Formats: sequence, C-alpha cells, structure tokens
Amino acid sequence: MFKKLIDNAAARSPWLYHINAGSCNGCDIELVAVLTPRYDAERLGFKLAGTPRHADIVVVSGPVTVQSKDRVLRTIEQVPEPRVIVTLGSCPRSCNVFKGSYSVAGPLDKYVPIDVSIAGCAPKPEAIIDGLALATQILKEKREAMK
Amino acid sequence: MTYDVYMHFPVIAIMTLFVGAFLVTLVGKRQAARNAIAGAAVLVSLTLLALLIKPVMVDGEIIMYWMGNWEPVEGYAIGIAIEVDALSLFFGLLITIAVACSAFYSFQYIKQDDARGSFFTLYLMLSGGVLGIVLSGDLFNIYVMLEVMTFAAVGLTAFRTWNPNAREAAFKYLVVGSIGSTCALLGTALVYAQCHTLNLAQISAILPGELNPTTVLAFALLFTGFGCKSFMFPFHPIAADAHGAAPSSVSVLISGVFTKTGVYGIIRVCYFLFRSMGLSSVQIMLVVIGCISMFVCVTMALNQHDFKRLLAFHSISQIGYILTSLGLCTGLGIAGGLYHAINHTLFKGLLFLTAGSVLYATGTTYLENLGGLAKKMPKTTALFLIGAFSISGIPPFNGFYSKWIIYQATFEKAAETGSIGYALVTVVCVVTSVLTLASFIKVGHSVFFGQLRPELAEAKDPPLGMRIPMWILGGLCVFTGLFPNVMLDYIIIPATGAVFNAVPYIDTAMGEGYAAAHLASTSPFVTPNYTLLGGWDPLAWLVLFVVVLAAVFLCSLAGRSNRDVNCAPDSKHAVFFGGEEAQYSHISGGDLFWGFKHTMRRYLGFVSGAHTGVTNDYVLWGVTATAVIIAYCFAFML
Amino acid sequence: MEIMDFVKYAVYILIFPGALFTCVFGLWLAGVDRKVVARMQKRKGPPITQPAWDFLKLCGKEVIVPAGAARLMYMAAPYVGLVSLIVTVLFIPIGGLQAFSAGGDVVVVLYLLTIPTLALILGGSASGSPYAGVGASRTMVSVMAYELPLILVLLAVARAAGSHVTMDGYSILGATFSLEMITRVQELIGPLLFDWRLLPAAVAMLLVIPCEVGQHPFDVGEAETEICEGPLAEYSGAPLAVFKLSHAIKMFVMTALFCALFLGGIGTGMLWLDVVLALVFSTAVTLVCMTLLHAISARFRVEQLFKFFWTVVSGLALGSLLLVWFC
Repeated sequence: MFKKLIDNAAARSPWLYHINAGSCNGCDIELVAVLTPRYDAERLGFKLAGTPRHADIVVVSGPVTVQSKDRVLRTIEQVPEPRVIVTLGSCPRSCNVFKGSYSVAGPLDKYVPIDVSIAGCAPKPEAIIDGLALATQILKEKREAMK
Repeated sequence: MTYDVYMHFPVIAIMTLFVGAFLVTLVGKRQAARNAIAGAAVLVSLTLLALLIKPVMVDGEIIMYWMGNWEPVEGYAIGIAIEVDALSLFFGLLITIAVACSAFYSFQYIKQDDARGSFFTLYLMLSGGVLGIVLSGDLFNIYVMLEVMTFAAVGLTAFRTWNPNAREAAFKYLVVGSIGSTCALLGTALVYAQCHTLNLAQISAILPGELNPTTVLAFALLFTGFGCKSFMFPFHPIAADAHGAAPSSVSVLISGVFTKTGVYGIIRVCYFLFRSMGLSSVQIMLVVIGCISMFVCVTMALNQHDFKRLLAFHSISQIGYILTSLGLCTGLGIAGGLYHAINHTLFKGLLFLTAGSVLYATGTTYLENLGGLAKKMPKTTALFLIGAFSISGIPPFNGFYSKWIIYQATFEKAAETGSIGYALVTVVCVVTSVLTLASFIKVGHSVFFGQLRPELAEAKDPPLGMRIPMWILGGLCVFTGLFPNVMLDYIIIPATGAVFNAVPYIDTAMGEGYAAAHLASTSPFVTPNYTLLGGWDPLAWLVLFVVVLAAVFLCSLAGRSNRDVNCAPDSKHAVFFGGEEAQYSHISGGDLFWGFKHTMRRYLGFVSGAHTGVTNDYVLWGVTATAVIIAYCFAFML
Repeated sequence: MEIMDFVKYAVYILIFPGALFTCVFGLWLAGVDRKVVARMQKRKGPPITQPAWDFLKLCGKEVIVPAGAARLMYMAAPYVGLVSLIVTVLFIPIGGLQAFSAGGDVVVVLYLLTIPTLALILGGSASGSPYAGVGASRTMVSVMAYELPLILVLLAVARAAGSHVTMDGYSILGATFSLEMITRVQELIGPLLFDWRLLPAAVAMLLVIPCEVGQHPFDVGEAETEICEGPLAEYSGAPLAVFKLSHAIKMFVMTALFCALFLGGIGTGMLWLDVVLALVFSTAVTLVCMTLLHAISARFRVEQLFKFFWTVVSGLALGSLLLVWFC
C-alpha cells in the first residue's frame, strides 16, 4: 500500500529543473508563462526547483551549444532517479535554425535518451502543459519500474 | 575513614603536585619516567579530592589543617591554614579533573616538542599553584600561589619558543598580569594592616564590621587583582593572546582552570572577607562587568580567524556569564554561576583539546586554511560537536542547563527588585548565547565541514592516548547535562550553601562561637530558594527523543530500497556547481555571516580596532580599570 | 492502571499530539498556505494535499550522497531535526492539553526550537556545497536576527502573566516562564492578546514566526532563486522529504506557541473542543502571519532582514516589555 501511494505521488508532484542549453530565451519565457495565474501549472503540482537534486523533470531548451554540452549532461546526471527529460521547443530536437553552426553540438538525443519533446518555436503554454502532463505519466511508470 | 585521616588529604593533594614538579627534573631525559611521575601526581591529587566529596559535600564537614600544627593562640591565627569547605572543594574538583585530563593528553601531544624536559615541571607547578589557591585558608598564601601560578603560566605560554607569537603573548601576559598581582598584594597588605591577621576565616569575622576608606580600598584592589586573574573585561586581550599561543593542553589549564581561581577569589573577597555582596552597588558592578565581558568577547570571537584565539575569547565570554550570575547574590544566581563554572571547565577543556588535535593532525589552527576534516577525523568531529553544542547551550548538553538557571536567576532578580535592568541582562545573556552558537557554526563549517582541502588529505584522528582524555571530558559534558539533579544535590547546592553562610567556615577555624561574637549578623545573605528550578528534565526529553526517533526510524525503513550506497567520485556524486565541473570552493570562516557583520560593521570595526595588540594599550586599559573600580567603590560603597 | 498510563503516553507520543498528528497537521497547514497564496494571486493553486504528495514523492526518489559530504552528519541531520521538533510539540500546551510538562518552559522551548535549525545548518554545511555554505551562513544570520525580539517577547509575556500569579502557596515573584502557568493565568484574566500592553509584542511575535519557520519574505537562507535553496542544495530523496516535513511542522509548532502565549484560555471547558479551537487558531495565525506576508511581499536581503529584526521588531517587543514593566 505504501509503495502504491508513493508511486501515485510520483505523478502528482513533479518538480521541474530548467536548463538553458543556448536557447534564444523564447521558450524560457513561455515556460515561465505556464506558471502565471492564467495557466497556473502549480494546480497540477508543478514547481520550479532550485537545484537538479530536487528535480523530477529536466526541461532542456536550446540547441545544445558546444560550450553548454558538458554542463547540460553533467547537470542531467545529477538528477536523482526516477527522472524524465523533456525538450522544450524545436532546438534541442533538431537544432532548428542553428543547425550546422560551428558552435552547436546538438541535438540532445545524441547524448541522452529523451522522454518527451514539446515542439514549437516557441511552443504555446498549452502545449507545454500538455507535454509536462505526459511527462508525469512517464515519471509514474518509471517509478513503478524501480524495484 | 575518620576525620583525622581526611584532614591530611588537601595538603597532600597540593604537595604531591609540587613534589612531582621537582621529581620530574630528577629523572633525566627519560620521557616515560617523566610521564609516569606527572600522571601519578595528578591522579593522586584527583583521587584525594574525590574522596573528600563524601565528608565535605554530603556530610557538610569543613576540613581544617594547620601547617606545622600552628593552631590559633589567644584568638589570633598565625599559622598557615588549609581550610576546605564545599566551595573550595568544588573548585578543587574541577581543577583536578581538568588538570588530569590535560596531563594525559600532553603525553602524546608534546612528543614533537624540543623542550619537553621543562614542560611537566611547569605544568605541575601551575597545577599545584592553582590548587593551592582554592584550598588555602590564608590570604597571603593565596597571593604566593597566585604568583607561582602566574609565572608557571607565563613560562608555559612561551613554551614553543620558536613561535614569535608565543613569546609576545608571554610578555604581554607578564606585564598585564603583574597589574593584577600588584593589586592583590597591595590589597592583602591593607587587609593585614587593618586586621593584623591573614587567616581568611578570621578576616571574614573581623573585617565586615567596619567599612572605612582603607577597607574599601583594600576591597577594590583585591577585586581588581582577582578580576585580572579571571581575565574579566578589560583584562581580556592578554587571555586571547596567551590561550591562542600556548600549547593546547596548557590552554585548557589557562582557560578552564586559571580563570576559575580568579572567580574563586572574587567569591571569597565579596561573599566572605568583606561580606559586601549585600550592597546593591557591588552587585551592579559585578553584573555590569560580567555583561560587558560576555558581549564584547563574543563579538570579538565572531571576528577571529584562528581556532584557538576564537576559543580564548569565548572563555572570557563564559566567565562573563559566571560573574553576572554570581553578582546577582541569589540562590539561583550562585547555583547557576557555579554550575556554569564547572561546565565551562569541561566543555572548554574539550574544545581546546580538539583544537589541539586539529593542530596535531594538520599543523595549523588558522580557520582559512582548514576545511572538510570531518571526513578524515570523524572522532575529533564528534567530540568537537559535543563541546560546541555544550558551549552554545543546545539541550540536553550541560551548557544549556546552567545557562537556563542563569536566565531564570536574572529574570527572577528583575522581578524581585522591580528593576528592568536585570531583565535586559537576561536579554544580553540570550543574545550572547546565540552569537556563541553562530561562532561555533563558523568553526564547524570552516574546520570540520564544507569541502576537504586537497592538502589536508593526509590528516587523521589523533592517537588513542589523546582521544581518551577528550572522551572523558566529552562524557562528563553529557553527564552533567543529563543528570543535573545529581550535580545539584551533591556538588552545586552544598557549594552554594557554603557561599551564603560564612559562619561554619569561621567557626571551624577559630572555634565555636567566634563568628557570633564578631559578626553583626550571622544569618546567611539569603536562604537559597530553588522553587523555580525543575521545569526542564533532560532525561524525560531524552526518553521522548529516543521513542520518537525509533518510530521515525521504523517508518524510514520503508524507503530503504532506493538508498544510494555508492559514493563514487564521478560527476553524478560531485557537488552541484551550476553545471560546471566541481572544483575547490570552500566558503571559509571569514565569509560567513555577512548580513550580520555588515549591519554591525561600525560596532565590530570599533571593537576590533580597539584591540590593538600593543602591550602599552592593554596596560593602560588595566590601569584605567583599576582606577575606575577604586573610584566606583569609594563613590558607592562608603 | 499502569498499562492505561502506558497506553496514554504512547498515544500522546506517537499519535496525538505527537508524531502522527503533527506531521499530518503540519502538512495540512502547508497546503492551506500554498492554496491561499495561490487564491490571493488569482490562481487556482495546488490541492491542499499537495505538500503530502510532495513528501511521498520525495520518499520514493533516489538518495544521492555527494562524494565530498561528511556522510554521517549529512544523513543524520534531517532525522534529528524532525524528531526534536516533534518532541518540542509535546511540551507546548495545545488548547489546555499539554502532553508533558517536564519541559514546559518558554526558554526551554526557545532553545529546543533552535535544534531543527541547527540540524539544517549542519546538514547543509556537511554536504560540502558552496551554495549550502552560503545558505548556512544566511540561516544563522536569520537566527541571530529573530532571537533578540523573540526573547524580548517572551520576557514581556512572562512578566505580564507572572504579575497575576498568586496560586496555591506557590510564591511567584512577579514573573513566570512556565507555559502551563501562562496558560492558566489566561484562563483567569482572558487571552493576553487583548491586553493592550502586549499588542506590540504580539505583532513582533507574528513577524518572528515566519522568520523562524523560514517563510517567504524572510527565507533568505533557502532562497531557491538565488542560492539553490541554500542548505538543501545537495539533498535529495528521503532526507529532503524529512526537511520539507520539518519545515511544515515548524509552522504548526510556532503557531501553537503563539496560541499558547497569546490566545490561551479561550475555551469551553470541554477538552476536545478546546483542542479543536486551538487548531483553528493555529490555522488562522498561519494565514495572518505567513500566507498574507508571503503573498504581498518580496524577499528581504539578508542585511535588511537583520536590520529589520533588530530595529523595528525588537523595538516593538521592547516597547511591550517597557509597558508591561511600568504600566
């Protein structure tokens, strides 16, 4: 019973950690917009965590520049299990307009498996909430898979 | 055993130490023999005094011993007396405990020093002098012992002669300390001129009746003399230098024991010789000096960058607590002050020994050069935490209990006298206690926690021989915190009773009825009243704590499966550094408490600017303090 | 008889008002706080059970111990803090129900309350993170900041209550530190909150509570946007859950202390009803001093916080003490 309760809790209290991997800041503003009174993601239990150690969901925006690659990977590694990696916007998936630049090491899925990607440049807040809600389900599955 | 046997114990306890001091030099270069002699001497005197607990503390006897059997003739006590009442025994016990622990610690600790030969001679001289002061029943004898103790302490401060700080500290100590000695000698001479006797008991019977300018001057001088020995404000800067520069096992003696003789002297002078504690002017003087010592020294301690200097300032701050509490002249006040005195000896001894261990393991006590030692020296860290919790007054450790009595006592005094000043004293005490906690957080963070400095990777816990004395002191800290009732019943309350009632002390020395014949009133100052005590039962708290801890622990077993036991130094287990590769970045002691330091910058700047480190300035402070105390006494006591 | 006593104390310690109840009620208070803040910001806000879900979720997360941490201290600190908080609750009278009077003394409670904060500081310090170092330093500054006004408030209350005590041969000298006595006095003369001389002290206490708890305008030590939640920066999983739980329980402890000091003695004579009433008061105090301040103010800087507490708040408390003493 205790385990079941904890498994259920995994989906109901997702804490986000947001990494900007060279984003143009468009997606970042939209992510913050999700927390505003209009969309209020907190009603689903979302909260922005201050450090990766507290996070369940890592949100990465930006095309993963050469400078940021190691930092992003290191930070993702420091998030305790179970964790879900969400890409925000087109950049982390495809490098978008930055593709081919000498300073871009992306896309992100070259380095880590991605659980949810939210498309758009920049994605609408509704889409972000939808993606995050999906991420909570994956989080719960991962938690159940843990021994 | 009978009284006839007991009466020889105090003098043997003192003489063993002095004889040991000379024997140590006779055995040549054999360090093991020196250690054996020193160890035997301190153990013998500890055992003898411990055996006196039953007759003196429990049965209320007073041990009287006339050196060479020179008993009083025709009402005049010419011979040198050794008189042990509960108060003397109280101080004797705490002295011998600290001396014994510190001596055993020194065996290992001074191994690398080159001047080992003279160490135990000076050490035992110091111990014997200190013990002589508290057990003696003769004012001039006290002065002699005071000098023996001071010069041994000066020698030990400069023990590491290669260290220029130690030489400087010893010089300052010598100069400023001589102000105190001079005052004490002058005061003694004036008292002798007035009473034609040097016996403490006889003086206490004759002197209080007539408070004339001569005796007031004598009082002021003796008070300053003993105050200087207890390093009260403004004599505190020399203490900081001396404690910081001396070897740690000697700092234990200077801080935990040496200062207590000053406190003992003040009690004897104020409560016995002159019976002046009934005057509110004397009470206010002690309380004000205590509060200033307390607050100024704790703020100075917050500013320090050296572990041992920081501890040194804290000892004066704690002496401030003791003086304040003794100045209240109430049952709770004396009990709190004495309790804090014994606690201070225990926890400050422990802290100095941990500082010594850090020095032994790393070669430095400079806070900025240390960090993360908890991983390398876990046992020392545990001991440090016991000491730090005790001094900061974290329940259920011992410092809390005595501080708590002091708060009760000050506030009770405020309510009794209707003066709001004493309520503010309570506030000062509490704030000082918080600042004490803050400065030990600073030490804990910058020495034991935080990141390990790469160059300290080789540090390790000190050998067993050094740890055992520390564990004894640590264990006593816990014991006196958890069983305050045992302490109160067997140690503190008999001693408090002795402070209030000088009559048995006088009658034992001079014959039955002597006090009644000479003193205007033989009634005690106040009848000690402990009704306010008892609202804090550490054992009940501990039981509850253990029960709840067990419950929480059982619950936490449910989540054990995902505990991470791997502690590999990979990037997952590295400290979060904003994504950067983790690198050495320790928040050192000097950077802590910025908000506090910034807000108080004017005050802190003024205080630390005033501590110039120049001997001339400190002498000026001392002389000024003497003058002010004399003027105060003349203005308000006559 | 002895078995009955044993059962009674077991219930006191483990269920009410001990471990289980404090945890549940603390989490409920934290939930109410978050919900009402959200409503004040025109948001829908999380469900009231949200802190409980957070707690459970954290229990199910992996626990990472940083390689540079002093392991024992790091793991023990949260549990010691939590347990000492729960034990503190047992000494505070809740609506006339005081489980144990052995430590029923305001100064003792004041000191017992520093243990959880100390655990937070030492735990953070032991993690080896520079963020935690800064956080520990800031937390300690906030402790220094609130301790001065808090002791002034306690002295004012002790004096005001003590001047009314003349009970059964117990010679009180115009002051009492006993929480039990303070509550009993209020049964005779009415809640101390309605004593005009103590109003400034009550206001000061209301400002001290959020600082002691580490709530929003005064949460310099755990500022998540500046220093990664300070001492908690490296904590994850169950130890973090325990710290969050301690934080929630602290809200309950502090509001219960406020109620005992200022709102005692309002009662119907029926014990269970009084207890419920006390819990309602606790919630109300939480809303006034934590939620309202959280919603309408921005975080203090650390030196502003210190200055604010040592001037304005201490001034209020000192004023109260003077009024009590001389009026």
